[in-house]
Amino acid sequence: MVTAAAIDDSSLQLTFVLFLTVVVITLFTALLTAPQRDEISEFYLGNRAMSPLRNGLAMCGDYLSAATLLGSTGLVALTGYDGLMYLGGTTVAWMTVLLLIAEPLHRTGRFTLGDTIALRLPRRQRSVRLALSVCVLAVATLYLVAQLVGSVALLTQFTGVPSATTRTLCVAVIGTFVILYASLGGMPGATVIQIIKAVMLVVGVLFTAGWVLHHYDWNPNALLTAAADRSGNGARFLEPGLRYGGTVSNKLDFLSLELAIVLGLAALPHVLMRLLAPRGSGVLRSSLLWAIGLVGAICLGAGVLGLGATALVGQDAIVGTDRTGNASVLLLAHELGGSLLTALLTCLAYLTLLAVAVGLTLAAASSLAHDLYGEVIRKGRASETEELAVARLSGAVIGVLGILLALVAWGSNTATLAFLAFAMAASAILPTIIYTLFWRRFSAKGALLSLYGGLGCSVLLVVFSPVVSSTEASIYPDADFAWFPLQNPGIVSIPAGFFLGWLGTLLDKGRPEQSDVHEEFEIRMLVGADD
Amino acid sequence: MPEFPPRREDSPTFPLPHVEHTQPFRISSHPEFRSLRRAQRRFGIRATILSVGGFLLYVLVSFFAPAVMNQPLFGRLTVGLTLGLGQFAVMGVTAWCYVRHMRTRVDPLAHGLRVRMREDESRRAGPAAPRSEAGRFFQQGARGSRAW
Repeated sequence: MVTAAAIDDSSLQLTFVLFLTVVVITLFTALLTAPQRDEISEFYLGNRAMSPLRNGLAMCGDYLSAATLLGSTGLVALTGYDGLMYLGGTTVAWMTVLLLIAEPLHRTGRFTLGDTIALRLPRRQRSVRLALSVCVLAVATLYLVAQLVGSVALLTQFTGVPSATTRTLCVAVIGTFVILYASLGGMPGATVIQIIKAVMLVVGVLFTAGWVLHHYDWNPNALLTAAADRSGNGARFLEPGLRYGGTVSNKLDFLSLELAIVLGLAALPHVLMRLLAPRGSGVLRSSLLWAIGLVGAICLGAGVLGLGATALVGQDAIVGTDRTGNASVLLLAHELGGSLLTALLTCLAYLTLLAVAVGLTLAAASSLAHDLYGEVIRKGRASETEELAVARLSGAVIGVLGILLALVAWGSNTATLAFLAFAMAASAILPTIIYTLFWRRFSAKGALLSLYGGLGCSVLLVVFSPVVSSTEASIYPDADFAWFPLQNPGIVSIPAGFFLGWLGTLLDKGRPEQSDVHEEFEIRMLVGADD
Repeated sequence: MPEFPPRREDSPTFPLPHVEHTQPFRISSHPEFRSLRRAQRRFGIRATILSVGGFLLYVLVSFFAPAVMNQPLFGRLTVGLTLGLGQFAVMGVTAWCYVRHMRTRVDPLAHGLRVRMREDESRRAGPAAPRSEAGRFFQQGARGSRAW
């Protein structure tokens, strides 16, 4: 896959030192701010009195993973227009959260999504909570594996394809940091690393993008011209269809991917958990505005970086280093600022994937401890100390599970795995959220059918897609059982999840919930308990 | 319901109306509650369809009618690239409209209903629970919070 190490050794050493410094500092800060008392609310939600800017930075940090920084930028560098559309989708996704989900969910939520649903469907809450934990665990683990696989891919940029020992060491070290942050630090610890990462990401991306634009005298037209000239595709670089053109199934694949990106965000467990952290809805609203602004700025900056990589490095060099284009940002940094800038951006990429992995582990651990252990197994009788111990333990278990799976799947494409997680979240979890908030008749059977059905449908479609078999890049390139033509299942599985929720509700012949349950829920959702 | 203690132990809460057995104050049938629900839901759905649907439409047109998107505007900037940049502007405007709508239309209604529910509650609980001060304190959340 990779023919030569992209970047010289000196920047690797510099990266190593920088990364360790940042990690050690943040780890100490995280441990200092860690929950001192055995209170689950502090472990799950962290400091609830944070300002909107800090909350917004943390949300932005939770959301933007290494797949955006390296993967999407690489796509822009290789495919121009098509890659830019990804970045657009990444930003648009926040509109669903802001306009539909955030405030109603915040008013009715407590610690996890399961709490909101239990308020709405109290009689059969245990089975729904169980289903929800299964879905959250599946989505979070897949996304976690994507981040850990990304760490190996990043190492590949420096050393060429790493040996089995190096690989194991890399994943194990990152994974251990993730477990330490999540289990010991809880939400306060995760917040520290998210904020530091988000600040570095904003500064790093905007600074480098400014450098690229400065190189072209702040004339976007000159940048576009240079990028088109050195892309090897001429004017087609700035037209749609370079990657997803041609056949109808290619175009549908892109639409499917965009659907998964745009709708998946609103159902990612760690982002949902972050929405519950601010105390008042007013603070939440301002935090979301900050988050949208920051994500938008970073996506615009990433677009400039991608175009700049093609314009300054040239497509041949990018493809020569890494076929997927993941190396483009680092090559650009090397071209502009030598080893120092390369080391800074690599460190940023490692920090990005570490921070996202911490958020995911924490979200999965909360779901296991609060929904599965506290409410399903102990039926709400667990003490806070007990639940907290389970949460810390589950953080470690999920981290180890992620490490093991990442070692098995180290060769897969980070971006593909991440977008599969988005598609699974959008098909399994999103229908239940939307129906719970906005559909009066929604019943427990509908929730169960849409949670399990949406998850099953998306997993099945992935198994029978080109991701798993039939093409060179798939997991089993020699076998061919891919009857589903698209890489991303979203366009089928998301409507299927919504349909199953509707069908399950229609077929539910059980005793309906008491009529005032929905009324009470709606009052709480619209008027709120306080603030 | 033992599973759901009030969400924030340190903040004023109210028993939900149906819990009371004496002549409950039915807030859900109150006309202001209905218009609150309408105001919040209608705007949210319309704005989502406009921004998210608009983006998906842009993706569809880009792929199925590329000729439209490839017309040059200024230099290398085509219609498609300009519309792509325009998405960011649309998002900004939508977010601004949302905040304005919530501040002017939704928040005052919700606040009024909240005060009414608390008054109703304290009237029934007797004169021992004056809680209107606390409500005003939390109302500052939207603007009175620190900038950093």
